[in-house]
Amino acid sequence: MIVFDELKKDDPQLRTLTAGVLLGMATLLAGLWYVQVITSQRFVDNQKAQAYRTVRIPAARGKILDRYNRPMADNYPNYRVSLYLEELPRLFKAEWRRMKPDHPMKREERMAYEATVRFRVVSNLAAQASIVLDQPVPVTYAQFAEHYNAQLALPLPLANQLNPVQIARFEEQPVIPPGLDLDVQPMRYYLYGTTAAHLLGYLQRDTKSWEGEEAEYDFRLPDYRGVVGIEATFDSTLRGRAGVKSVLVNNLGYRQSESTWVEAEPGTNVVLTIDLDVQRAAERGLQAALNSTRGAVVVMDCRDGDILALASAPSFDPNRFVPRISREDWEILSDPKLRPQMNRAIQENYAPGSIFKIVTALACLESGLDPQAVMYNPGYIQVGRRRPIHDLAPPGDYDFKKAFIHSSNTYFISNGLAAGIDRILDIAHRLHLGEKTGLPMPRQEVAGHIPRPGEDPIAWHDGDTANLCIGQGNVDVTPLQMVIMTAAIANGGKVLKPRLVDRLVPQDPLLEGQAWTYPRGLYDELGVSRRTLEIIRDAMRADVEEDGTGKAARIPGFRVCGKTGTAQVTDSRSRVVDHTTWFASFAPYENPRYAVIVMVESGASGGGTCAPIAKEIYLALRKRDTAATASLPSTAPVGKGGG
Amino acid sequence: MIGSVDHETRPRIDWLQLFAVLALISIGTAFIHSATSSNEFFSSRPWYRQPFFWHLVYGAVGAGAATLLCGIDYRALARWSIVAYWGSILLLLAVFVAGKEVYGARRWIDFGPIQVQPSEFAKTSFIFMMANYLSRPVEELRQPKVFWQAIGLMLLPFLLVLKEPDLGSALLFLPVGLGMLWAAGTPARWLGKLVGAGVLLIILLLVDILFAPPRWQFKLEDYQKRRLMVYFGIDFAANAPPAERARLRREQRAHSYNVEQALISVGSGGWFGKGWGQGQQITLGYLPRAVAHNDFIFSVIAEEKGFLGSIIVISLYSVVLFTGIRTAAQSRDRLGRLLAVGVVTLIFSQVFINIGMNIRLMPVTGVPLPLLSSGGSSVLCSLIAAGVLQNIHLYRRTY
Repeated sequence: MIVFDELKKDDPQLRTLTAGVLLGMATLLAGLWYVQVITSQRFVDNQKAQAYRTVRIPAARGKILDRYNRPMADNYPNYRVSLYLEELPRLFKAEWRRMKPDHPMKREERMAYEATVRFRVVSNLAAQASIVLDQPVPVTYAQFAEHYNAQLALPLPLANQLNPVQIARFEEQPVIPPGLDLDVQPMRYYLYGTTAAHLLGYLQRDTKSWEGEEAEYDFRLPDYRGVVGIEATFDSTLRGRAGVKSVLVNNLGYRQSESTWVEAEPGTNVVLTIDLDVQRAAERGLQAALNSTRGAVVVMDCRDGDILALASAPSFDPNRFVPRISREDWEILSDPKLRPQMNRAIQENYAPGSIFKIVTALACLESGLDPQAVMYNPGYIQVGRRRPIHDLAPPGDYDFKKAFIHSSNTYFISNGLAAGIDRILDIAHRLHLGEKTGLPMPRQEVAGHIPRPGEDPIAWHDGDTANLCIGQGNVDVTPLQMVIMTAAIANGGKVLKPRLVDRLVPQDPLLEGQAWTYPRGLYDELGVSRRTLEIIRDAMRADVEEDGTGKAARIPGFRVCGKTGTAQVTDSRSRVVDHTTWFASFAPYENPRYAVIVMVESGASGGGTCAPIAKEIYLALRKRDTAATASLPSTAPVGKGGG
Repeated sequence: MIGSVDHETRPRIDWLQLFAVLALISIGTAFIHSATSSNEFFSSRPWYRQPFFWHLVYGAVGAGAATLLCGIDYRALARWSIVAYWGSILLLLAVFVAGKEVYGARRWIDFGPIQVQPSEFAKTSFIFMMANYLSRPVEELRQPKVFWQAIGLMLLPFLLVLKEPDLGSALLFLPVGLGMLWAAGTPARWLGKLVGAGVLLIILLLVDILFAPPRWQFKLEDYQKRRLMVYFGIDFAANAPPAERARLRREQRAHSYNVEQALISVGSGGWFGKGWGQGQQITLGYLPRAVAHNDFIFSVIAEEKGFLGSIIVISLYSVVLFTGIRTAAQSRDRLGRLLAVGVVTLIFSQVFINIGMNIRLMPVTGVPLPLLSSGGSSVLCSLIAAGVLQNIHLYRRTY
């Protein structure tokens, strides 16, 4: 070896020394090779672990749009002034030097004192920010201390939701106080406030990781989760995929730099079948009906099942939940009588009252009732040994049409009993009453109730049948179910699946090809004769047009057909405590396009309270038709599918 | 690679060694700059007060001193070795009186603008003293009296430096002294017995310090004991009451912190490193900024230049060491040979301990890396030592 060549053979000491040095250097090289090459990755990882903090960045939430792509829930840029703490240590030090007490301090004492000094610096900066922004910028010691200890690498938001004037003032500051900077965060907002609030739902602060996301984050930025309505059902669609930002921190934990590892994927837009104009007309109508109306409206395109409006009153403003609902607002929402959070269109069981006579009529006519046959009505009817049932229709002779438009209890009970309970229930089941319709709001929707043969433990009496014939007693429905029923009459016997969500469209215009349109669907065929439907349709037309109970819904030139209902609400001891008033309708008569259900709790009567609301809605629908013939609103073509 | 034997009588410099030494000084300057540029304490100063500049200054001063030394035959110099040795012993004693206390240790004497670390000078003068003392006929070295006197010469500065306390610097006297004794021809079995006894003593001491009940323990400075425990991975908080334990554990973490961060620095450098000035461990402050440019300069180089950088550094040291050994072999007398062996052993020990510490091969001791670490006394003495090697090389054939 070359290093030995220089040495004399008879110099064992130097030869050994050389060998020793060689061995030592080789050991070092081997050690370095092991550390730097073989196990290098471990140290690279260790370094990452100690120097990087991962931050979860929530994705911009998808919009909720009406059928014409008008946004109902969108995101607005929330401009904030935040404090970037990594720019402050210099100030902390300066302040510390200024404030340093003379006497030596113990470790704990010193640390507490340092925290106070830091807070002084931060609250001074907050005060400066408040002068620039012309609004108070509160920072509490506890708030700052928590942020400092737990999230030092993240900026501390000082002021939220700045208005353009404040943004301008801040941007035009010649000298911005150190550490302060503007940033933007998307915030959910519901453009029309209370409009369709029950349908859209609302959000709750939630920063949990979701399936398929990396679960380990050091920090999480505030995120929201939909808790009811479309926001809840389509939460995973709307929320997109959170991104990951990595922040490089120094040994003290201050941010050094940051980079985005995974871009957040914005959520997918949900396009509803709702027509915003119709929805708003329905809500206006409901609101105008009574003082703090409690009621619901459902409007369906009776040709294909698209829900055009699904309104419930009283409503609430989902904007109040972002970023956090106040106690007062929550108390208003929890009013035990108004129950604003309840979606009355689908979430509550109601006795249908006289609009259920449509079901009875179907059963009677199908079992051979002659609509021309005349029957005397004494003004009441006695079934079995029960209390006589009063008939609001005055005493006299009634054929089917007259009985229908005056809503004669006597006529429908007598004929219903003749047709038999099984036929009536059969029709009700074919209309899929007593079942959830499968609207994509599973946590809200209730099924209603229709007795099934052999279901009731107590023997079934004719009195029960009599009650059921007029929509009282052992029968409950939701307004949504009634609209399906009415639509089936209007469209010639198709029991339609209600369709609330039209399509899901990615926000990225390049990915629009991946839009997914929900198919329209048929539940069932009603399976009754065209003649029967024709008779009922004519009777419904007459109810509005020929001085029937629904005449308040009459619109010249737009033939509305309807059936009113006023159901008694009884308490546990069968005393009447309230009324649920109904108006089930469709229009236009010649070529039905719309089915409209109006339900108002504690209304005066179906004709008096609900029919005028329906009229308002039909006026809006007529306008929609006029606009549609002028320029056909494009319902987007069915996408290639996917998702 | 190594030049052919030169028959001319004209003195010739060992260029290869000179190149390696200058290269090391330059590398040191560059990486001291890198290690301190993100340190506000240093970087806020004007350039002429920053450590990298002072490294160059000391390098120049050291080179000047070495050049001056080369003007005088080492045999003439060796006559002054007794003065130098006892002078440095006096300085070591002075440390206890006038020393500047830093982190509980007195290692420096403050002369106003400059601070002197006497232990560094003691190493150089010890090598001279030892070489001078041992350059006598081999027969004399077989006398126990001579042997024990030599041992005494070694133990005196060792104990004084140990008392400062500076365990790392103190320990350096042992390999240097023993190496020189052995190279001088002291009977191998004496040295064997001595080293054997020493090792046994150390093992006993370690067992005593680490495992014996407190009353039986040899008194070691607390920090030394903890460093040892950290190195041997012993939880020194195991028997403490809970409150005390939490505090001790924090302390233990703090103690192992430097090594862990140094390891992360070295390891994360990989093959090629992150580039000069790009060492994250430094910029983010994980590698403690107070030691990065001196005791842990190697981890800065290793992180920024990777394994290739390490190879270069090791190679440069190897050049210095092997040319030094060649000088020893070619020297015309025992004095030159012993001086060269002493210098080589000293540099080798420092390199091995320091780099070994960076990769956890050795426990943490405050031993600087010669020529690379920032620190005036160390640079100066290392260059003087290199100058001694050149001197022996220069005068090897002037008889």
